[in-house]
Amino acid sequence: MRPTYQDRFSELEPLLSRVEKPSRYIDHEWGTLASPEAEHRVCLIYPDVYEVGLPNQGIAILYNILNQQEGESCERSYVPWVDMADAMREAGVPLLSLEGAAPVASFDVVGFHVPHEMAATNYLEALDLAGIPLFASERGEDDPIVIAGGPSVYNPEPICAFFDAILIGEGEESIVEVCLEQRRMRDAGATRAETLRALAKIPGTYVPSLYEVSHAEPCTPHGYTVPRAGEDVPSVIYKRVVPDFEATDPLSQSIVPFAQLVHDRLSIEILRGCARGCRFCQAGITYRPVRERSADQVVSAVTRGLARTGYDEVSLTSLSTTDHSCCSQILSRLNRRLDDTGISVSIPSQRLDSFGVDMALEVAGEKKGGLTFAPEAGSQRLRDIINKNVTEDDLERAARAAFEAGWRRMKLYFMMGLPGETDEDIVAIAELAERVVEIAHEIVPKGQRGGISVSVSVSVFIPKAQTPFQWCGQLDDDEVKRRQKLLVSSVKSRQVRVHYHDADTSLIEAVLSRGGRDLTPVIVGAWKRGARFDAWTEQFDLARWEDAACEAGIDLRAVAQEPFELDQHLPWEHVSPGVTPGFLKREWRRALMGKTTDDCTRTSCTGCGICPTLGVENVLAGERA
Amino acid sequence: MSETGLFRLRVSYGKRGRLRYLGHLEVLHTIERVVRRARLPYAVTQGFSPHMRVAFSSALPVGTASGCEWFDLILTEYVPAQDALQALQAAAPSDLAAIDAGYIDMRAPSLTAFIVRATYEARVQFVHDIDPDAFDRAIATVRERNGIDYRRGRKTKRLDLDRTLCAVKTSWDGPRSAKIVLETRLDNDGAMRPELFLAACDLLLAGEDYLGDPPRLDIGPYDFACIDRVVVERVSQEGEDADGHPIAPLAVRC
Repeated sequence: MRPTYQDRFSELEPLLSRVEKPSRYIDHEWGTLASPEAEHRVCLIYPDVYEVGLPNQGIAILYNILNQQEGESCERSYVPWVDMADAMREAGVPLLSLEGAAPVASFDVVGFHVPHEMAATNYLEALDLAGIPLFASERGEDDPIVIAGGPSVYNPEPICAFFDAILIGEGEESIVEVCLEQRRMRDAGATRAETLRALAKIPGTYVPSLYEVSHAEPCTPHGYTVPRAGEDVPSVIYKRVVPDFEATDPLSQSIVPFAQLVHDRLSIEILRGCARGCRFCQAGITYRPVRERSADQVVSAVTRGLARTGYDEVSLTSLSTTDHSCCSQILSRLNRRLDDTGISVSIPSQRLDSFGVDMALEVAGEKKGGLTFAPEAGSQRLRDIINKNVTEDDLERAARAAFEAGWRRMKLYFMMGLPGETDEDIVAIAELAERVVEIAHEIVPKGQRGGISVSVSVSVFIPKAQTPFQWCGQLDDDEVKRRQKLLVSSVKSRQVRVHYHDADTSLIEAVLSRGGRDLTPVIVGAWKRGARFDAWTEQFDLARWEDAACEAGIDLRAVAQEPFELDQHLPWEHVSPGVTPGFLKREWRRALMGKTTDDCTRTSCTGCGICPTLGVENVLAGERA
Repeated sequence: MSETGLFRLRVSYGKRGRLRYLGHLEVLHTIERVVRRARLPYAVTQGFSPHMRVAFSSALPVGTASGCEWFDLILTEYVPAQDALQALQAAAPSDLAAIDAGYIDMRAPSLTAFIVRATYEARVQFVHDIDPDAFDRAIATVRERNGIDYRRGRKTKRLDLDRTLCAVKTSWDGPRSAKIVLETRLDNDGAMRPELFLAACDLLLAGEDYLGDPPRLDIGPYDFACIDRVVVERVSQEGEDADGHPIAPLAVRC
């Protein structure tokens, strides 16, 4: 039987003084929107703790939109941290929503955000705490419909068994359609199976139970997913896109948290999509086309948002904010408006050229912490392979401009294990960092040179679905560790510091990025062995995953590292961001030849196929520089 | 009241209901956001990292409620105190809402220097019937010993009762339910920790003791023996005049 929707905060309250950061669980923040008496209830869950989940803009947008619908109420929940989860289990308190403090299992629809691969075990942790069966196939008529959506749904197969439906692409319109349809079916007395078939008719909605895995050759060891015989469902589910981005509300955030978060500020999404075409980047494909908001809309949203929330910082977010055609104009208008208020503007990352530094300077004020750039690869040859269209000159000019403007600390992001990478490319990372230190010494006055620091942060390349590198295997983890050592020993300057990502975590991320439905037992097995919050380094333990894989008869390293053939069916080819397979193959071949491809917002169409397939186009607010 | 065109607004606010679980820094940030939402003409510090000129009374422990927290906010324009109060109330969650506001002299001592007395009210539910005399004896023993040693991390600290505790008044509304009022003093060297004091009394009441090396008690939360549930509220914070009489923080209103 479905638990009753009722306030059970009194059961949670005695636990609050025993756990760290009790403000994670108390609700009552400024700007919450739910209406508990509504006819139909949705609970959106971010699969991590409150302070990681609250700033998420995707959930903020959907929370806002759902609460505007007549008769709908949308509440939030997060995954309780390990101390609280254990205390709740011991006390017999189920996972509760925040606004109504009601059991999550009492809602009509429960929606999970899918931020990245490492959240896999946290869906299970949340479902288990909520008392909802972990597998969609085990849920009964009284259980909520469990949906999922977010940036990391483009290979849904390893996690698809946990969800009744997965929403592919932008959710602004589709989540409303899904919730209204579920309500209509509920009110008509439909069965769970009938409801799911109805949901599968909504564009962009993947109902995993209506599909099955085929192993007909040519395919990878994971097989590929096709409609179940007799089911009238699309063989490819295309992502949803909001064609008129400017028509959506730029001010999605309403809730102002008490807790101090990592991103504790107003966020305004000033553009969506990036067409620079870096070949390793999944978001670069899945967020296309590029759509900019007008400068007027951004400035007015910032003004309204600050007045409504009381934040002292506003971040202009997107995949590449400094690419906005009116970036400079927007920043100078905001700076004029916010002068003398103690309120600052920030942009998440800088374009790697002197324009990027100019923009960073616009927002820095007197405070110049560090400046972050992402060359991604050390050598020009490798940057051409990955299509990071940045030259040695761009880098030099950016570094020179930054040190001249007064910065002393610089952070450089790289990847290791990229296709075609050799030891020379690793040494080139060290050389590049040292070249930056040299430039700093030419510019920074003698007395201040002690403050110069260049930090090199190196992650492990993870081949992602729907990118030109989707056929690649991940570099062997022992080889990763050897190259990490090579990099450290290649750095001579004491002013360069090297940080690198944990190869164990990267292995699991690659496994979950490349695998199919055969990986589901591994996720369940790891969770049963205590895996949760795997995105937190101190919580992650590879041994749990290795034991679970062993039990399931899966070789983790084979899944992560064995390349796929270009003619094989892939585990994720039934979901599509609209990119044509031909474009990805062409980009892969160009990568092998070291040929770069232009950004279609600056030149002409490069033929990725997304615009014609989805019936959309790039929308720019001005001319891009 | 104005020095170089600045005005000092002193505001009292409560911390009640669920919001008593907020940490001190969370409260500070929330109040700053309330001030900005209230559109008050707040002053900003000059220099490297400009921020709002606002100062708060001393931290309240997480879980402790209050009807008498304070902050001083520097304004660049005079806003009638009642208007400022209304704007602050409209911009705050009700459990953290402003209660009173008035202007004080720019040169008046800071809140943390001014406030030397605090009164706490603890509502205690016991797990079984308690003999009021036995409870009084436990309190008397703790007070005679004059200090409670407790662990903070690996260090041993001492709560000096002679300096911080002026009076304890207990009233019973049933055999398992009491209201305990603690009149306390605070200064730079320390302040009362009401829950620690109650934890010490609780152990004696259970026929155990809190003495030991290392000490048995820490900074909490406590696994009480006889106490089932305790809710502590700070009910007043005051200064003192030259004769030692209490003065309310807004008694210096100008």
